Amino acid sequence: MNAGTNQEQTGGSELERCTRALLVESTETLSGTVRSRLTQARHAALGARAARLRYRLQRWAPAGALAAAALALLVVFLPHTRPVPASAAITGSIDDIDLLTSDVPLSTDPEVDYSFYEWAAGAASGPTGAGQAAAASSGPTGS
Amino acid sequence: MRETEDGARALEAFLASVERKAFRIAQIALRHEADALDVVQDAMLQLSTRYGSRPTEEWKPLFYRILENRIRDVQRRRSVRNRVMALMPWRGGDEDETADALAQAVDGGPTPGTELESTEMLTALQRALEALPNRQRQAFLLRNFEGLDVAETAAAMRCSEGSVKTHYFRAVQALRGKLGDFRT
Repeated sequence: MNAGTNQEQTGGSELERCTRALLVESTETLSGTVRSRLTQARHAALGARAARLRYRLQRWAPAGALAAAALALLVVFLPHTRPVPASAAITGSIDDIDLLTSDVPLSTDPEVDYSFYEWAAGAASGPTGAGQAAAASSGPTGS
Repeated sequence: MRETEDGARALEAFLASVERKAFRIAQIALRHEADALDVVQDAMLQLSTRYGSRPTEEWKPLFYRILENRIRDVQRRRSVRNRVMALMPWRGGDEDETADALAQAVDGGPTPGTELESTEMLTALQRALEALPNRQRQAFLLRNFEGLDVAETAAAMRCSEGSVKTHYFRAVQALRGKLGDFRT
């Protein structure tokens, strides 16, 4: 059976070649009516496919457009609805303004002898005036 | 959009390439030209609308599977109708039934335009094919006439490749028994 089977399954026997040729020939001599009906059937099938695709497009296009619009709105408006975190630079500059405008002395360094500056200011505004101030400039140099 | 147009063109080319063979296969199975045209149209329609987006290499087995299903549907309907009509004592007055009975007759006379069928060889082959069991005829026509390979035939017939080989072998044996030394 093997040899015969293999030959028959590969389409190699005389019988198979003859039947194939005969059947193929019969398709080439189909009547005009049948060929016309087949062509019509083919066009109908393709038309139905196109109509189905159009229907799908019409059905889903509005939903797609709506989704795209919603996404665009989210992209545009979502960042502005969130509180913007204050950056370190902005925070720092605001702190500086506070420091500059407050009455508290700018520095509270314990190493600096603030009494000297108070004395110097008093001497400059006092009756001895500039002489004392000049003496003071060569006097104590702090701490 | 361009892709859709290309797909439509490919599908049209495919359908044009199989429609005549599909018609002959259906005609041999159903022995009725109008029914054969109907099942081919149904198969084309279903392939286009449901499976047109599948890869092109899947089209042929799918198309022939659909075609075989449609052929089987028609055969079942006929079988049921014949059984029902056999129970009716007044049967025989229906024009459709008369047409079907004529169509089902093995020697149904020449069908329009099929000149080659009048030749002895084609008639003999057609009779021999019609006499085959369905599965054997399917396997033989899909493999030998349509040129599907074993895997594609198995996909179209929804059976194993081994079954295809068996059906095909038996079909060839049966045809050889009926046709003898058949030469063109």
